[in-house]
Amino acid sequence: MPKVLLIEDHDETAQQIAAELAGRGYEVDRAATGIEGLDKARAGGSDVMIVDRLLPGIDGLTIIEVARQEQVRTPVLVLSALGAVDDRIRGLRAGGDDYLTKPFAILELIARIEALLRRPGESRDTVLRVGPLEVDLLERTAARGGRPLDLLPREFRLLEYMMRRVDQLLTRAMLFEEVWNYKFVPQSNLVDVHMGRLRRKVDPAGQPPMILNIRGEGFMLRAPS
Amino acid sequence: MVAIGAFAICVFLIIAFIYWPTSRYVTASVDRLIIDRANTFSSLPPQQRHQALQQHLDGDPRRVKLGGLFDAHGNRVIGNIESLPRNLQPDTPPQPLSVVRIDAAGREQQLARVVARKLDDGAILLIGRNTDELSEIGSTIERAVAWGLIPALCLGSLFGAFLSIRTQQRLDQYNRQIQRIVAGELRERLPEQGGAPFTELARLINAMLDETEELLRSVAGVGDDIAHDLRTPLTNVRMTLESGRHKAKTLDELKEAVDRAIGGLDQSLTMVTALLRITEIEHSRRLEGFREVDLAELVRDVGELYEPMAKDKGVMLVVEAKEKMVVQGDRDLLFEAIANLVDNAVKFTPECGHIELKLCCIGEKSIVHVSDTGRGIAPSERDLVTRRFYRSDKSRGEPGLGLGLSLVVAIAKLHGVQFGLSPAPTGRGCVAEIVFERVPPQVS
Repeated sequence: MPKVLLIEDHDETAQQIAAELAGRGYEVDRAATGIEGLDKARAGGSDVMIVDRLLPGIDGLTIIEVARQEQVRTPVLVLSALGAVDDRIRGLRAGGDDYLTKPFAILELIARIEALLRRPGESRDTVLRVGPLEVDLLERTAARGGRPLDLLPREFRLLEYMMRRVDQLLTRAMLFEEVWNYKFVPQSNLVDVHMGRLRRKVDPAGQPPMILNIRGEGFMLRAPS
Repeated sequence: MVAIGAFAICVFLIIAFIYWPTSRYVTASVDRLIIDRANTFSSLPPQQRHQALQQHLDGDPRRVKLGGLFDAHGNRVIGNIESLPRNLQPDTPPQPLSVVRIDAAGREQQLARVVARKLDDGAILLIGRNTDELSEIGSTIERAVAWGLIPALCLGSLFGAFLSIRTQQRLDQYNRQIQRIVAGELRERLPEQGGAPFTELARLINAMLDETEELLRSVAGVGDDIAHDLRTPLTNVRMTLESGRHKAKTLDELKEAVDRAIGGLDQSLTMVTALLRITEIEHSRRLEGFREVDLAELVRDVGELYEPMAKDKGVMLVVEAKEKMVVQGDRDLLFEAIANLVDNAVKFTPECGHIELKLCCIGEKSIVHVSDTGRGIAPSERDLVTRRFYRSDKSRGEPGLGLGLSLVVAIAKLHGVQFGLSPAPTGRGCVAEIVFERVPPQVS
């Protein structure tokens, strides 16, 4: 059961996040002030930390800086209403591993927490397998049930990214940032169009779908049951 | 008074600067003349010397020439100088001395420039020239100063007073106008007349006021637009939630209503985020974060991103960006700007239409060129489409926020590059261009 340290002073926000995480099997420890949060961060024992930037006592960035100086290596998701580029850069330079701007969708927060928890254990295999789907990273080939898939380079990267994060919700912003490598939130349904093309190749008619569209939230790759 | 005193000093200095070199020039001419004469006479044999000296002194109707020959005991032999001056130094450069002139007109003390030569037999030859001419020049200039300075001072004072009063009146007028502007009369402008510096100052201040008025108007307009554009999705959210609460009979129906409400809220949030983003870019001073960016790669990436979308709509998207072209900039923002232009082109080009996304090079300029065969932009709207929230589609039926081109303009301004919209040469569609000055690639 992954342990999450949630440092957030706003009660309602903290309760909603904690309830959502608890519902997904996480063990949540909450700190309502900066001082309490720093003490708990120093004590360790968490698998991931969610740190709000503006806190009473000590601000979130100071907590992260102090924790990092004291060799606390727990992955940190910075949560903030300050979303300007400079603010995000400051948050990441202070030692944060990811940055999410308020207001946010709770599922996006969960998806980012999952990504942070997954990060250290990312597979170094050159062949990725999910159910009948197989991708050879050296040969740059993909196949489902032995039948080769004719993928364009970007579709190959999209599929590789999803295969490394099986059963995780992947939001459009995450896909765009990681697969296209641009910090850009398109107004049009661009990611959906690309994903639609990939789905037509990965999930041909008559076979159980592996790429799931989570309505309003993003996409997920799952092995057929 | 200070101005008048300064004016008097200036006049005095000008006259002094005229007198000083003139006086030096005349003295040097006199010195050359008497040295020349003294050398000539001293080189002659005694008899000829007496004769030549006498002739020299006789041919002098203005009574300015002085000369005398004295024996070794200092007794005058010939000439119109009564005696050897006491402090005379022979064989030295000419010196100013007081001598006594004697001639048919009588005996007279005179100031003169004099040069003396000691001859072989111990006699002393004296040649000089009266310097009354120099004193005369000095006196004339002094009189000119005395008589010229008084009217010059009077005229200068009058002119200065006139200028000062006129300047004060102009400043009072400006003060009154500016006080009215400060009080809220933003349409007031300063009069652009009254001489070069005032006209220029008034023109600058008026231009600044025009800009401020325009900014205030656009801020007020943006406020109205935000209120209007947010009101619609928020009203929909409210109605959806209200309807779901009263009418939903099953959990699925309630979830559906909530999903629709979330969609409306997301639309509102997207709008606010886009606005904040434009403001952030407009006020960004993060130019130190600029890097070398290959425009060709950006253009190809944007093309690759939009190609499936264009294909789905039945629009042909042609991408041309072969040659590597490097500019200084923020990679993500430039991508966003080009993507916005292509997004608009795809959105407004009908089925079977044609879009060109090209990177071309003309001289030292790199141009990102996006043209389409859509409905184009009416000439009356060309300046309006870059304003925030402006949309040609007044019914708001088409998707979009009316912020895309504002964002492109903000990004172009941040990068100091030109952005322009023009009608397509074929008459159908629109051409959008971002023009960069090229940077030569660094040799590593």
